[in-house]
Amino acid sequence: MSTRTDTRSDAPVAYDFEGDLRRYLRGLGGLVAFLLVWWVGAMMTRPSYLVPSPLDSVRAFVDLFATTTAIVVPVSGSSLVLPTGLAHLTETLFHYVPGLLLGASCGIGLGLLMGWNGALDDWLRPLVRVLRPIPPLAWIVFAIVWFGIHHTGAAFIVFIGAFWINFYAAYGGVEGVASELTDAASMLGVERDLSMLKLVALPSAAPQVLTGFRTSIGRCWMIVVGAELFGAPGVGYEIINASNNLAMATSVAYMFLISLAFLCMDVGFRLFEGRVLAWR
Amino acid sequence: MALSSESSNSRKSREKIAVRNVSRSYESTQALEDVSLSVGEGEFCCIVGPSGCGKTTLLRAIAGLDDPDSGSILVGGDPVTSPGLDRGMVFQEYALFPWRTVRGNIRFGLDRPACGCPDCEARAQELIELVGLDGFDDAYPKELSGGMKQRVGIARALAPDPEVLLMDEPFGSVDARTRDRLHAELLDIWAQTRQTVVFVTHDIDEAVMLADRVIVMGADPGTVQSTFSIDVERPRERTAHDFVEYVAQIRAELGEPEPR
Repeated sequence: MSTRTDTRSDAPVAYDFEGDLRRYLRGLGGLVAFLLVWWVGAMMTRPSYLVPSPLDSVRAFVDLFATTTAIVVPVSGSSLVLPTGLAHLTETLFHYVPGLLLGASCGIGLGLLMGWNGALDDWLRPLVRVLRPIPPLAWIVFAIVWFGIHHTGAAFIVFIGAFWINFYAAYGGVEGVASELTDAASMLGVERDLSMLKLVALPSAAPQVLTGFRTSIGRCWMIVVGAELFGAPGVGYEIINASNNLAMATSVAYMFLISLAFLCMDVGFRLFEGRVLAWR
Repeated sequence: MALSSESSNSRKSREKIAVRNVSRSYESTQALEDVSLSVGEGEFCCIVGPSGCGKTTLLRAIAGLDDPDSGSILVGGDPVTSPGLDRGMVFQEYALFPWRTVRGNIRFGLDRPACGCPDCEARAQELIELVGLDGFDDAYPKELSGGMKQRVGIARALAPDPEVLLMDEPFGSVDARTRDRLHAELLDIWAQTRQTVVFVTHDIDEAVMLADRVIVMGADPGTVQSTFSIDVERPRERTAHDFVEYVAQIRAELGEPEPR
């Protein structure tokens, strides 16, 4: 207990090169082992399209960028020619990004307000209890009859998915604000509820809010592919389209593409998160 | 300031805080029962008592963070109804905003519109120097030791230049050596700022070290038992005869056995 002294306690920790190297090698080993099992499995399976080999899949992946496809840009209606893989990924992003951003903003907004305002919480909590358990994809029927299964419909499904994850993250974050921090703030002249929300509750809840958003990035990829399996244009649609032609290697190539897109977003967001939360 | 001698006695002549017949109960406990006390302007007043005697409740009521069931509290002649910038509070567990740097924490109270400081940046710098944290301006609380955190807590509370400084066992979680240093620094700051200080502690030594006057509270229900004026020149020595004598008297008053 009494080891606290008046010096900064963040003594630099010696960087563990060997441990890192060992971790990387093990990770690499796992990947290689998986590829081997996949490859052997593919060789032993007949007919061959049931399990496309790693090599065929890579070839199909490269092919995605060898041809070009024209897609229609929503709203403006102009057309855009891109390498095929990128074109379909862009189509997905046309409904993924607006759905995610809008859903996250609304979810975070409502979560903060409900977590902060007891009366609003009383009003809406039962409603939330009822609506929350409905899987986002179940709303697909309404997406279809309201918007048609195109960008708007798919964005609507993504919106719902993003909404709940971010709602709960923000709600929990605000509820967890330490009362001593709000006490300290009110002793320092914060009088209005809205100022308290902005100056104390929001920054205090930021770690949970950001974690929630990062979770929703991944969850919305699952949802968006689900929506596209019903016919919205994009990588998910291409997966099923390719498999209808028994071009399973192409399906795998699109699966890679999704994984890659998710990884880029996740890494990017983690970097952003690390910067914003440097104080942690 | 007319007839001023610098002795503490002349400085507590005018009443700064008046607590009148304050009672406060929680579900099953009577935290405060008919508590009355008064603190003079510029006085350093310590409240000691066992845990559960309501000393923190009393401090929070003066702060305006807690509403007594009955009785009234006046600070500078005005009834306390809510927290205000005329009172600064230093918390037991620091309560620093972890997402703000040292400077950001200290500036928190300065950035409210109510602050009339002409140059807030200079004021923040002055406070950083006052509590001896130059060079740590941009450090986050997680990078600081307990003693340093509480220095920030003190500077943050002092920033809006409150008339009254309320301290809730502020040095309870720092080690003994740091605590001694913080005592000296706090007395230095107090000598410079001339604020009225109400300091809650359960450590009798600490109270005798710091206070002009020690108010002893008893528990269950929380009441004021007695008051001791500590008439010992500063800087005080723990081993000095009169110091030891005061500590023994207060300990006896609290019914605590002699240590060892």
